[in-house]
Amino acid sequence: MPVEVIMPKVDMDMASGKVMSWHIEIGQSVEKGEPLFDIETDKAAMEVEAPATGILHHAAPEGAEIPIGKAVAWLYAEGEEVGEQPAPFAAVGGDAAPAPEPAEALSDDSAPEPGSEPEPRPEPEPELAYAGDAEGIRATPAARRLAREEGVALAELPGTGPRGRVQAFDVREYLKGLATPSAPATFRPETGPLHISRSKGGTGTPVVMIHGFASDATSWAPIESAIKHRPLIRIDLPGHGKSPKLRIRDFAALVKEVRAAFDGLQLDQAHLVGHSLGGAVALALADTRERKVSSLSLIAPAGLGPQVNGEALNGICKATRAESLGPWLRSLVADESLITDGYARLAMQARSDANLRAAQLAMADALFPDGVQAFDLRAALGRIEVPARILWGKSDAILPWSHALQAPGRVALHLFDGVGHMPQLEVAGEVGKILRAQL
Amino acid sequence: MPDTIQDTNLPYAIRAYSPERLREALKKMYLVRKFEEGAEDSYMRGLIHGTMHLSIGQEASSIGSTMALTDEDKITSTHRGHGHCVGKGADLSKMFAEFFGKESGYCRGRGGSMHIADPSKGNLGANGIVGGGLPIAVGAALSAKRLGTGAVTVCFFGDGANNEGAFHEALNMAAVWKLPVVFVCENNKYGMSTSTERSTAVKNIAERAAAYNMPGVTVDGNDFSAVTEAVDAAVERARNGEGPSLVENLTYRWRGHSKSDRNRYRTKEEINEWMGRDPIPAMAKLLMDHQIVTEDDVAAIEAEANQIIADAIEFATQGEDPKMDEVTRDVYTPESAA
Amino acid sequence: MNAHSKPDLRELSYAEAIREAMDIALTNDPSVILMGEDIGVYGGAFQVTGDLVDKHGTDRVMDTPISELGGAGVAVGAALTGLKPIFEFQFSDFAALAMEQIVNQAAKVRYMLGGSVSVPLVMRFPAGSGTGAAAQHSQSIEAWLGHVPGLKVVQPSTPEDAKGLLLAALEDPDPVMIFEHKILYKMKGHVPEGHYTTPIGKAAIRRDGKDVSIVATSLMVHKAMQAAEQLEADGIDAEVIDLRTVRPMDRDTVLSSVRKTGRMICVYEGVKTLGVGAEISAMVAESDAFDYLDAPIIRLGGAECPIPYNPELEKAAVPQMPDILAAARDVVKGRV
Repeated sequence: MPVEVIMPKVDMDMASGKVMSWHIEIGQSVEKGEPLFDIETDKAAMEVEAPATGILHHAAPEGAEIPIGKAVAWLYAEGEEVGEQPAPFAAVGGDAAPAPEPAEALSDDSAPEPGSEPEPRPEPEPELAYAGDAEGIRATPAARRLAREEGVALAELPGTGPRGRVQAFDVREYLKGLATPSAPATFRPETGPLHISRSKGGTGTPVVMIHGFASDATSWAPIESAIKHRPLIRIDLPGHGKSPKLRIRDFAALVKEVRAAFDGLQLDQAHLVGHSLGGAVALALADTRERKVSSLSLIAPAGLGPQVNGEALNGICKATRAESLGPWLRSLVADESLITDGYARLAMQARSDANLRAAQLAMADALFPDGVQAFDLRAALGRIEVPARILWGKSDAILPWSHALQAPGRVALHLFDGVGHMPQLEVAGEVGKILRAQL
Repeated sequence: MPDTIQDTNLPYAIRAYSPERLREALKKMYLVRKFEEGAEDSYMRGLIHGTMHLSIGQEASSIGSTMALTDEDKITSTHRGHGHCVGKGADLSKMFAEFFGKESGYCRGRGGSMHIADPSKGNLGANGIVGGGLPIAVGAALSAKRLGTGAVTVCFFGDGANNEGAFHEALNMAAVWKLPVVFVCENNKYGMSTSTERSTAVKNIAERAAAYNMPGVTVDGNDFSAVTEAVDAAVERARNGEGPSLVENLTYRWRGHSKSDRNRYRTKEEINEWMGRDPIPAMAKLLMDHQIVTEDDVAAIEAEANQIIADAIEFATQGEDPKMDEVTRDVYTPESAA
Repeated sequence: MNAHSKPDLRELSYAEAIREAMDIALTNDPSVILMGEDIGVYGGAFQVTGDLVDKHGTDRVMDTPISELGGAGVAVGAALTGLKPIFEFQFSDFAALAMEQIVNQAAKVRYMLGGSVSVPLVMRFPAGSGTGAAAQHSQSIEAWLGHVPGLKVVQPSTPEDAKGLLLAALEDPDPVMIFEHKILYKMKGHVPEGHYTTPIGKAAIRRDGKDVSIVATSLMVHKAMQAAEQLEADGIDAEVIDLRTVRPMDRDTVLSSVRKTGRMICVYEGVKTLGVGAEISAMVAESDAFDYLDAPIIRLGGAECPIPYNPELEKAAVPQMPDILAAARDVVKGRV
């Protein structure tokens, strides 16, 4: 049996070596311990001695790279028959080679290994559902923990710590405030333009969005991703969101404020989207600024009949804590499980300003006295000629969906079974698609 | 000291030890050689993970210096310590298993080549720190003296360690306290690449003994009988309460310092000259000259050693790998684990 | 703490308490020996061993040559082979000479040999500043050794614990490093009679409080206690934790205190950066207790310099009581 000559490991981190030169020719003999060949590794070159006395055969070609421990030649005893090479030379990166470098494996343009599962792309992190943990807010870990447990949005809290840092104290004070609201302050009217917020990005004709009563611009969040290819402009109604608490004596006064805000935008063209009371305002706006309106989408709009669930509106306006707000919020949707305690807490937090609640109560009293819609836009709906559509849930408990049936034939109707007053929340995907198709 | 024959013309080892012990010593020398060749081969085949320091060529020193020791006696060893392990009766299978990093190894895969030890046989461990074992040996000797066990400690170290502060502190304390310890310097001429001529102010390291008021002798470390004669005398002196001694075994490592050594500091001629003074055939010849073994016996002993090594490698290969979640086991003694 | 102990309780100084522990150990266990420089007739540089040599003899109370490396190694070897040495460094600073034996040998032998041996070794290190001995005789190096798996590191702050931890260390099969503050040697306090142990790895709550957790070591525990008394006048209720053991650190006690108070100050004499306080802080930051923090953690550690000689400079180089006071006020009143 010939003696195998192997590529020796001569460095701790050596995986293979190169045969640089043989000291003897094939067929010549060598004594054990005599230098037989030179190798080169990443680090250095060195001489390798013959492991046994014998005649050299089947020597690997000079320059060949051989993994450590693998044969580079065989030594035959005198007179021993030399047949086929006992085994092929092992190739670096061959059968026993280690897996490809991670860099290659991860590179986008390299073909996947046959039979290997393609690496699933990481799902993008879903955006946080609520702003409580928004980045960039200075808050202590304890404040963040409390806010998380209590469903409080840190962004809304004044921080009394150094450089405005929100501390646990601030959250506790805030929660105390929710628990024992100051007596319903008499409504202190404010003045000033309505608050407008805009999405980042988007091109083409902008979309102007007007939210419903007792809501604010954040109510559009569920459908915004579907239409973000257009610039989105959200108007906060007076006494809502970040708009000033204006005294609104009637519907006309409300429309006047929104129209002023719309005019202030100085748009050539805009798509209008409105929900509930915002739908009525959008319709009124379209009626007076028809040339600037490219399309009109009304989601469960007010103003198409006298009925309205005044009890719910009143209940929402008067609730001072999540526990009392929750049941009314649940009346807004068909599937009550959508309104979690956390959702209610967040909603309550947005309504934590007693003056805001008082302003809305006053507005409700002006627009829906005795639980009746004191304005009627059915004529306006008959007049407008811009492409228009109405979206409504057939389980709406605030405004009856059947009001939609009065729309003229050119207005498209999208009616959803098992959906309440908030289609943009309850069937956000559907609503998004319908809106996108028109924008 | 075992002693049977009084004829002072005979070499010391022949006089001092029974034929059985001498045959066993030859076998142990073969075992050291074959163990290290097997380890080297496994390393070159990529089967062993770390580096190693081979003592091939130094077998007379390691086996000769442990002849007079019982299991009660202690040794401290060095990074080039495989021979000391075998001398102190280690199980080759567990040594190989340690080399292979197995749970069945002497150190359960935690120590590797540089820390193979069997405390149950009085081997307190090899040491990766040059000079690390010197003070520890003195401490073991202190225990023996205080506890009255009668045990002697043989402290192996290399020529490199004689320039460590620990060497001087240890020898001084051993002498001041008259402790039963024998310092055995295996002078293989180079501390890595630096020769003793370039590193050490005295010609023979044994001369250092004078500074610590203890006997110091220099012997041919490749001559088994000379080694046993010197070390045994020192062991006896220690056992008799006469204090420490220093023995210097002049020897040579055929291989490089470790696997990263490219042998640039010594000549082929020098290596060849020392390879011509192989201690194992010399030992075999000594035993044959005194009719303790025949040539066939030697071949049989070598074959037996080969078989033990082959079995040991097989044992090591079959061994269980350590469990990854036990990486922190054995840092602390269990009942007090942190 | 025992500054106001009842008069009927026996009081000893910290040094006397350590000596009593060693006396008990030497008497009860023939395998115990003391080793160190000038610990015999001299009685030790700080008179901790005192007259133990008279009672137990020079074979068991052994003066070593001035050979820290060799001496430490002898102690390791003796511990491996049946003795239980208590090795005294004259100053903790001199451990630098013996780091090889402490770190490479004592700490690792058990692990390197796969658990087949233990090293029942106790080392005592007179440590800390305040004696005007300057840079090479005043350091607090417990964090150096606390970084080494295989060692246990304790810092008693009271006479009672000094005795109890030393006796516990002797019962421990693994190497235990005891850092004794030199300023505490003369401090008196109640020390129980006879043999008892203080658990290694267990912190002590020296004062209950709800507003801020002050985690301190060694001499700093006393400064923290003084600060806590003054803070009471401000209406700040500080909890003072005496860490006692640097390795293994008592996670539970520290974390539950922080969960309660929401604020933490670490006070230690070793250099602030990469010191004991860094580990305590990280322990909180990596745990659920992080979510209870209502202010950043404050570390009060030694200055980033060697210990200076000038007495005022020396004070400035380590945390003092007013520093703790100010830090506690800042952290509680939301100024940091």
